[in-house]
Amino acid sequence: MSIGASDSNMLDAHYAGDRGPLFKLAVVTAMLTIVTLGIYRFWAKTRIRKYIWSSVNGGQDAFEYTGTGIEKFLGFLMAIVILAIYLGIVQMILFYFGLTLFTAPETPQQALTQMFAFYITVLAVLPLIFFAQYRARRYKMARTRWRGVRFGMEKGAWGYALRALGHWIATLATFGILLPWQTFRLEKYMTDRTWYGDAQFRQDGKWTALFGAARHIYLAMATLLAGGLAGIVAQSDVVAALAGVVGVIWFMVGIVSYRVNAFRYLTAYKILDGRIGFAAQPETVNVVSTLILGGLMVMLISALVFAGLSAAWFVVMTPAALMGEGAVFVAGLVAAVLYVLALAMSGSLALVWVIQPVIGHVVGTVTVHNSDALGEIRQRAHDSGADAEGFADALDVGGAI
Amino acid sequence: MPGIAGRYFDGVTAGDHRVDVVLDEAGGRLVFDGPTFDDGPVFWQLGRLRALRDQARDASLTLTLHADSDDEAPRDAARLTISEPGTIARLQTICPDLHKRDVHKGLYRKLAARGAMAVAAVVLMLFVILPRMADTLATLIPVEREIALGKTVVAQMEQALGAADMGALNCQNPQGRAALTVMLDRLTDRQNLQYELEVQVFDHEMVNAFAAPGGQVVVLRGLLDNASGPDAVAAVLAHEIGHVEERDATRHALRAAGSAGLLSMVLGDVTGGAIAVFLGERLLQAGYTREAETRADRFALNMLNAAEVDSAGMARFFDHLQALEGDMPQLPEYFATHPASEARADRARANANRQGATAPVLTDAQWQALQGICG
Repeated sequence: MSIGASDSNMLDAHYAGDRGPLFKLAVVTAMLTIVTLGIYRFWAKTRIRKYIWSSVNGGQDAFEYTGTGIEKFLGFLMAIVILAIYLGIVQMILFYFGLTLFTAPETPQQALTQMFAFYITVLAVLPLIFFAQYRARRYKMARTRWRGVRFGMEKGAWGYALRALGHWIATLATFGILLPWQTFRLEKYMTDRTWYGDAQFRQDGKWTALFGAARHIYLAMATLLAGGLAGIVAQSDVVAALAGVVGVIWFMVGIVSYRVNAFRYLTAYKILDGRIGFAAQPETVNVVSTLILGGLMVMLISALVFAGLSAAWFVVMTPAALMGEGAVFVAGLVAAVLYVLALAMSGSLALVWVIQPVIGHVVGTVTVHNSDALGEIRQRAHDSGADAEGFADALDVGGAI
Repeated sequence: MPGIAGRYFDGVTAGDHRVDVVLDEAGGRLVFDGPTFDDGPVFWQLGRLRALRDQARDASLTLTLHADSDDEAPRDAARLTISEPGTIARLQTICPDLHKRDVHKGLYRKLAARGAMAVAAVVLMLFVILPRMADTLATLIPVEREIALGKTVVAQMEQALGAADMGALNCQNPQGRAALTVMLDRLTDRQNLQYELEVQVFDHEMVNAFAAPGGQVVVLRGLLDNASGPDAVAAVLAHEIGHVEERDATRHALRAAGSAGLLSMVLGDVTGGAIAVFLGERLLQAGYTREAETRADRFALNMLNAAEVDSAGMARFFDHLQALEGDMPQLPEYFATHPASEARADRARANANRQGATAPVLTDAQWQALQGICG
């Protein structure tokens, strides 16, 4: 694929990140995070984003992530104050009302459902999680620049939380059939509020077009259902088990396929400033094989490292035990440090073997049409970002990067 | 003077400017100009030059300026990217502040204020508001609901101990049950209890007993096997009745519901964070429960005195517990949920010395029946 603006008024995106430097950055920041009892995690996330953003190129110009670790930490502290009060009180009151609905259980199943009722308290957090998701996306947009111009998103986190709740209820109530409606409407809600400089994005298209993308999910669900029925009718566990295995694997691949194809469709129907178009051609096969092979690689390397560590442990501990308690203590300390290093490493491995390759593949397939019009877009004002994703950090939402 | 090629974005529009960059070391500045510039060349002072950090492309260098903006960092919005290795190397040597991290004025004061607020909020919630609320809610909850909750907890516990069906572990030997009733009647006679007690013995070798909400008490068979005599079992029962009367189990469930989410939120998804959350939770619960245990011990001694049961049995039981604990590595006291057994044994012994006339709580035959309750 050619790099840079071609004569045809088009722009190709490509990903320039490497495994080595990102791995080093991820391990170093993970170690610092452990040493600082988690406080460094805001800086760690920021530095990894800076690397990944700067690897994404539109034409010959790299994206830039301008967020700072300190503002994320400040945002987190603010979110903690609000969440501590809200969550502590709401969780306890919900738990109390959960209790008042209790009746004495007569069967183990009943006892189990009642224990499940305990976890209903999680519902108190749900709207906050959607709220935090929107705020996190807004913050990331506000801290992303390309060609020196800021991206940005309008306020609207509560509106998003309300819609997300409603769509999730609709999706669950229809056993996933209305998933395309949810995906499309929520993406439209966010895209329509997104800006690049003074130019606004718009999500066009129809939600019904996503049914095609979801076909593998539906087929997998049908397989599971048919297999279960056939198993009951034929009184055969083998049939049911076989259908179960096939159905579950199909379902997982189907989710990836859905996300990839929905992304294609939604990107193709995004318009910037009413005149700049986009296209993306990520392949399900590519993403699935990266997930499987990359995942195997992570497991293999982690297994080797941990096996090496345990071997080293025996080699060191035996003489240390002969030398007395002090030596055992020192050897134990060294082992603990190595263990922590290995833990930090395994998280970083997933980043460089799975997450980065998937991002790289997707970015590499993006093209921008009528890209000459980009040059006329003007800067937008700075967004203070308020909580700088603090709610998402506190509630642990927001995914890998 | 011929310069090197650069790519400049002015931070005002997304339009690109191809510029010719000259490093004017004598003038202490970077000068660049291009065909798209209307107002002549731009001058950047070397002292204000800053490079973007943690960038993927190490063959090029993207520069910006230190400036008092209200942006997230004190930086100018303009960007200049150069790729010529010689100039990049030279800039790295002559600009000492190229990789400096600048922060806005007043940042540290803001950090201290926010930090203090966050710590205060969490401490206030964990140690003042949640415990108070739990105490209040525990007294508000209707007794029949508490009993229902207790039954669920007991059913869960039974399953965790390996029961296939509900009630599978419940020991029902009639003579044993009769002996247990004798013991309970002796203890609760002349006492005005708020809860109707439901005591069960589970067939399990663990040396333990627990009180669930709503008057549910469970004794494990291992405790009957290991007890020095009926007086010791009576002491353990009295202790558990103390928990029942204080509604400790309900209170702890409420507290845990409030504080668990809070702790995992503060500590986040650090590698090994689950361990940190577990330890934090343990530390927190330990404070609550040690207090509750001491109170239940006091309740038990009073109950034994009223029932004229010798508390030396209780002392012997704690001695036995201490011997068991001696074989295991000890947690520091602030992590342990129970007060040190030695001190508890001493208190029981001191009480025994002050006690008046006492009588065995069960006859030898009854004690044998109780020990055989699971047979």
